[in-house]
Amino acid sequence: MIAQQIINAVSLGGVYALLALGLAIVFSIVGLINFAHGELMTLSGYALLAALVFGLPFPAAVLVAVSCGALAAVAMERVAFRPMRGASVTSLLLTSFAVSSLLKVVFQNGISARPQPVAMPGWMTGAFSFGDFTIGVGPSISIVVSALALIALELFLRRTVTGTAMRAAAEDFNVVRLMGIPASRIIATAFLLSGLLAGLAAMLWVAQRASVDPLMGFTPVLKAFIAAVVGGLGSLPGAVAGGFLLGIIEVLLQATLPAAVAPYRDAIVLSGVIAVLLVRPQGLIPAVRVQRS
Amino acid sequence: MLSVEALRIRYGEVEAVRRVDLAVDSGEIIALVGANGAGKSSTLGAIAGLVPAVSGKVVFDGVDITGLAPEAIARKGVSLVPEGRRIFAGLTVADNLRLGGAMHLPAVEARVREEEMLELFPVLRRYHRVKGGNLSGGEQQMLAIARALMGKPRMVLLDEPSLGLAPQLIDTVFDLIAELRRSGLTILLVEQNVALALEVADRAIVLANGEVVLSGTAKELATSDLVRQAYLGA
Repeated sequence: MIAQQIINAVSLGGVYALLALGLAIVFSIVGLINFAHGELMTLSGYALLAALVFGLPFPAAVLVAVSCGALAAVAMERVAFRPMRGASVTSLLLTSFAVSSLLKVVFQNGISARPQPVAMPGWMTGAFSFGDFTIGVGPSISIVVSALALIALELFLRRTVTGTAMRAAAEDFNVVRLMGIPASRIIATAFLLSGLLAGLAAMLWVAQRASVDPLMGFTPVLKAFIAAVVGGLGSLPGAVAGGFLLGIIEVLLQATLPAAVAPYRDAIVLSGVIAVLLVRPQGLIPAVRVQRS
Repeated sequence: MLSVEALRIRYGEVEAVRRVDLAVDSGEIIALVGANGAGKSSTLGAIAGLVPAVSGKVVFDGVDITGLAPEAIARKGVSLVPEGRRIFAGLTVADNLRLGGAMHLPAVEARVREEEMLELFPVLRRYHRVKGGNLSGGEQQMLAIARALMGKPRMVLLDEPSLGLAPQLIDTVFDLIAELRRSGLTILLVEQNVALALEVADRAIVLANGEVVLSGTAKELATSDLVRQAYLGA
């Protein structure tokens, strides 16, 4: 029972970490908190549904769905955010709210306001047991996928020129441009990565629930936003730490709180967030950022 | 090689540059000197594409580069070493250098070039795997110059290379500038330390309140009454 709870906690934390990372990557480079990030998740969920309905085998459907998330993120930047480049933080924030609302309405009217069932393969809902321990296959896959995604991202940021340029751009974007590296390439890559991570998170989220609905992305991305702030907004290690911390605390409270107090779980978690920010206003692992006018 | 014609720059209500005209020939060092707020850094910023010009023209190698994006200007071979060095503090010395050459040279040539830079700046070899933020001011200035040279630029814009450095380090930096000049590099140097700038430059331009007030060879300016009284304290 305890082992299962720990697996669940790490698994949820992993999903929050992927989403918080996506928000942090975009924020660190363009200074935008993308509230339409949740809709990228929802879109990937519907893409998975569509691919399965069209009869694609499950792995291919997942590939299509994650690619859709990544491409949608790049398209979102191209259509909505690029014309706003250089605008104030508030204008960018409002733009992202507009994109978010627009996509939600499209999902509600174009598909359905009600949740659509997604046929997940049977083995994903199974469990395996060692002696007394029973561990779900879904949460275990979720942990493995999150870990692999984090390692791949780390390698990309450390080993490739574009990844190095992105770390540099988070510090001082203009100087990266002085090196001859195009701003558009850096920004497009940031959105591509955030979309990929949102797509992966959507797969893990849908796998646990076997359904998609137009508001699917809202709650997890709100949590991821909180995780990113707790970790230190714009800091990538902070986003990962914040995501895992939030997921683990949520599941552990869920498992241990007495029934009478359980409905206050989110209030307790958010009080904890406020306490952390009172002690460390810059977050757990603050971002290194050179602020220039 | 580079000419700036009737450049005008404004930040909101503040006119930073009223009118600057200058021309830099291939292989020479031109010093742009003047008091704080005279418009020196703004002029460099406009040439590099970081600061938009209200009016005027910047021509490099016969091509009008006014209003181009900074990355486009960099790829034409104009490299700015910004004021305050602005090295990437969280990246290693190696990564700082790599980014400098990434867009200009194929991978193999970039490695050769990096080796040349480490030869020219031995201190950077010693700290190759150290984060830029952990270097001293002088070492960071070396890194900023090496990073700008990585892409084999045809012209370098140096903004206040002596700022905040200890006197013996300033000498090292200026020896290096003289050495770069001997290697045929064209340099536009902005400097508040007028005496040093005139020592190393071929010609100099004096800016005051966003306008050119005096220009001539470095020797002429070093003996002019205006420069001696206002900047050299003689």
